[in-house]
Amino acid sequence: MKPLNEQITEVISEEPVALFMKGTPQMVMCGNSMRALQALHAAGAPITTVDILPDPQIRQELSAISGWPTIPQVFVNGELLGGADITEELYESGELQRKLDDALGADRSQDVKVVALELS
Amino acid sequence: MLLEQAFPAADRIEVEDRTGGGDHFQVTVESADFDGLSLIDQHRRVNEALAAPFADGSIHELRIKTKGTG
Repeated sequence: MKPLNEQITEVISEEPVALFMKGTPQMVMCGNSMRALQALHAAGAPITTVDILPDPQIRQELSAISGWPTIPQVFVNGELLGGADITEELYESGELQRKLDDALGADRSQDVKVVALELS
Repeated sequence: MLLEQAFPAADRIEVEDRTGGGDHFQVTVESADFDGLSLIDQHRRVNEALAAPFADGSIHELRIKTKGTG
């Protein structure tokens, strides 16, 4: 099994849009995670979610990698976009859609998938 | 207050207690400190200013709105 920080780095670098959140799209456990999910969805993003709740270490490792203290965290093409406030603000200004168009093309997939990290 | 110390040049600092419980806040900061910074770096500056109350749990949730003067 790969160390947790490597698994997290892999999701960030390999998934077009990665959303680290509390819960899953089917069962969102926090209002802010919901705000980020909804903004991404409304902007027509493909979304890969990772639930950080199963182990407190996930959040620790993630924040160590990103330098961002809170959950949710959104990454586009490996780069930290921000948390719920920024994602929502960028969606409302139309910039999120533009960023996604630039990064992933206008005819991008809008699939939602869930990645579960392997815990020791 | 921490935000005033961190952003002495701010045109506007507002803190709203969103739930009345004293641990869910909306902060709005407009300051020349943010000029030329990306949104994410602006939010980083606010998070850094409030790292201590975050760490000790006195802030449970923070919503941030930032603006430069440009």
